[in-house]
Amino acid sequence: MPELAETYACVPSTERGRGILISGDPKSNKVLYTNGRSVIILDLNNPLNVSVYGEHAYPATVARFSPNGEWVASADVSGTVRIWGAYNDHVLKKEFKVLSGRIDDLQWSPDGMRIVACGDGKGKSLVRAFMWDSGTNVGEFDGHSRRVLSCAFKPTRPFRIVTCGEDFLVNFYEGPPFKFKQSHRDHANFVNCVRYSPEGSKFISVSSDKKGIIFDGKTAEKIGELSSEDPHKGSIYAASWSPEGKQVLTVSADKTAKVWDISEDGSGKLKKTLTCSGSGGVDDMLVGCLWQNDHLVTVSLGGTISIFSASNLEKSPLQLSGHMKNITSLAVLKSDPKCVLSSSYDGLIVKWVQGLGYSGKLQRKENSQIKCFAAAEEEIVTSGFDNKIWRISLHGDQCGDGDSVDIGSQPKDLSLALLSPELALVTTDSGVVMLRCTKVVSTINLGFAVTASVVAPDGSEAIVGGQDGKLHVFCIVGDTLKEEAVLEKHRGAITVIRYSPDFSMFASGDANREAIVWDRVSREVKLKNMLYHTARINCLAWSPNNSVVATGSLDTCVIIYEVDKPASSRMTIKGAHLGGVYALAFTDEHSVVSSGEDACVRVWKLTPQ
Amino acid sequence: MGVADHSKSTYLELQRKKVFRYVIFKIDEKKKEVVVEKTGGPSENYDDFTASLPENDCRYAVYDFDFVTSENCQKSKIFFIAWSPSVSRIRAKMLYATSKERFIRELEGLHYEIQATDPTEMDLEVIRERAS
Repeated sequence: MPELAETYACVPSTERGRGILISGDPKSNKVLYTNGRSVIILDLNNPLNVSVYGEHAYPATVARFSPNGEWVASADVSGTVRIWGAYNDHVLKKEFKVLSGRIDDLQWSPDGMRIVACGDGKGKSLVRAFMWDSGTNVGEFDGHSRRVLSCAFKPTRPFRIVTCGEDFLVNFYEGPPFKFKQSHRDHANFVNCVRYSPEGSKFISVSSDKKGIIFDGKTAEKIGELSSEDPHKGSIYAASWSPEGKQVLTVSADKTAKVWDISEDGSGKLKKTLTCSGSGGVDDMLVGCLWQNDHLVTVSLGGTISIFSASNLEKSPLQLSGHMKNITSLAVLKSDPKCVLSSSYDGLIVKWVQGLGYSGKLQRKENSQIKCFAAAEEEIVTSGFDNKIWRISLHGDQCGDGDSVDIGSQPKDLSLALLSPELALVTTDSGVVMLRCTKVVSTINLGFAVTASVVAPDGSEAIVGGQDGKLHVFCIVGDTLKEEAVLEKHRGAITVIRYSPDFSMFASGDANREAIVWDRVSREVKLKNMLYHTARINCLAWSPNNSVVATGSLDTCVIIYEVDKPASSRMTIKGAHLGGVYALAFTDEHSVVSSGEDACVRVWKLTPQ
Repeated sequence: MGVADHSKSTYLELQRKKVFRYVIFKIDEKKKEVVVEKTGGPSENYDDFTASLPENDCRYAVYDFDFVTSENCQKSKIFFIAWSPSVSRIRAKMLYATSKERFIRELEGLHYEIQATDPTEMDLEVIRERAS
């Protein structure tokens, strides 16, 4: 049975112009964040140890551990809060529809009995506080007229709740049952985050007007500000207190994080400015932060998580990254089978090393979107949503210069002849284009709607699949294609065709959930009835020893068939990737790497039966 | 559509005396009745049965499934399988679909009925799940 060996997690999904809220559990040193419909629990001590909760029906926005660490409350854009167990199976305890719009922040009361949620809604329901197990309201929260971006619960008794929002207000409520007490309009722009210090004596509000204001925790009187010498030069998106309550970490759109010393009288003095190394573009704007034990965690707009050490602020941070969007292709480098390259449609190529995890991003000179991606020994070939094919040379971790060639229409599929990688076959809507290096050698109009293609490793043969399910086998003669045979067995548009590594067989998958293995020479069906998926087959991979074929589908499953055994003796990995599996590759005989819509890459180990 | 006597008696032999593991029935269009196409001995297993079904044509089949329940009792259930692959001719599918009711009425003692349009729908796992 296949077992999950490693997960290379996605990073928090970010949005330009808004901060994100990440949270954690100081006891187990775990960090919680959301991406798409999943909530990810990342262990800071071991970033490869990742747990994913995918039960939300809508994109999740924020998640928090309960004070005792047993439960997690997570919220999504539909206004639903789900409370589930933090360990093992993440059993759902309760689900409440709390607000009528998206929930932007969620906080537990320090005794774990109440939860306050705030966000967007219509009219009155912008903030609600309720008992965690019964959902009964514990107060009325009026006072805000626009989206409430953050809320905080005073960690010590007497309980107070503070909320802040897009109407520039910071509101203070006393209770329970919570009632409006005071409002402050000291900020001149959206107030992005409000946080209480751990002993409850003060709280800080940070805003897009680049200021941070400190208030008294019990009376909500303004007692000070973050000093204006060397302030942030951009909107401050989030703030987090140190565990002793003496320092605050703030992150801002000016791409820096600052640590401030907060004195007893409430004024803040800058202690240190932390910058992350980066290309300096928009992606380096910092949008989220968390101070947990000794770690200062900051998240950038591009999804890079930087972990600084609080006790040693000079040390350069550990940087983790990953994909934020659907990973559409995977490639395993022949020269280094432990290394996996994954690319997502937004143009990000990440290199992962088995056993270590994130190993770096491949920076290309031209950051266009990527639809198809193939890797050969020393170069990668990509195609995007424009009409160009890029060939970029790869030296270790760096991308060299790339050359592009315009092929006239949008490429739908791309395949490299592995043994002679200058030959590339690109399919377009009505035909194929053959490329040698970056020269278009021929454009052949085939007359039928082409959906998938593959070229043989030695460049002698090509197979093109059409919308009608027919496979056309062509012999490559010089620069032209000569049709040799048409194979009809599929009942749906062909989605993927792959040759086996030893070139003796090829396998094809279609949109009608069926996969077939053919013998290449005789063009006879070798293994059929591989119909066990319940949705279209997106990707297919052969194991290096030609004995195993893996298929991945939109139905989130990966099914592994052994070519010598009947199709019914198969191994299924259910729920491999929430949203569908989009790419598969084998790294060695027993390891399959899969990636999908949830922006994660997973490595599975197959134990032979 | 008639049911040949031989079909019914073969079925009764499977049910009462356990002479066969499976019986495959075909509709004989000339005589307009359901006749026995093939029978399998008690030593044959499910894979032999699946192999005997044609890929492109419809059939009716009766299979005697032996299994052990969670309380450790040896049980046997008779399955009726209406095999109608999606690749077969539409005429065949219609013929077999309309005659099925008439035929099933003749077979007493069927425990479960399965309609399969491709091999995955009559996979051994599916049968096992239905039985328990």
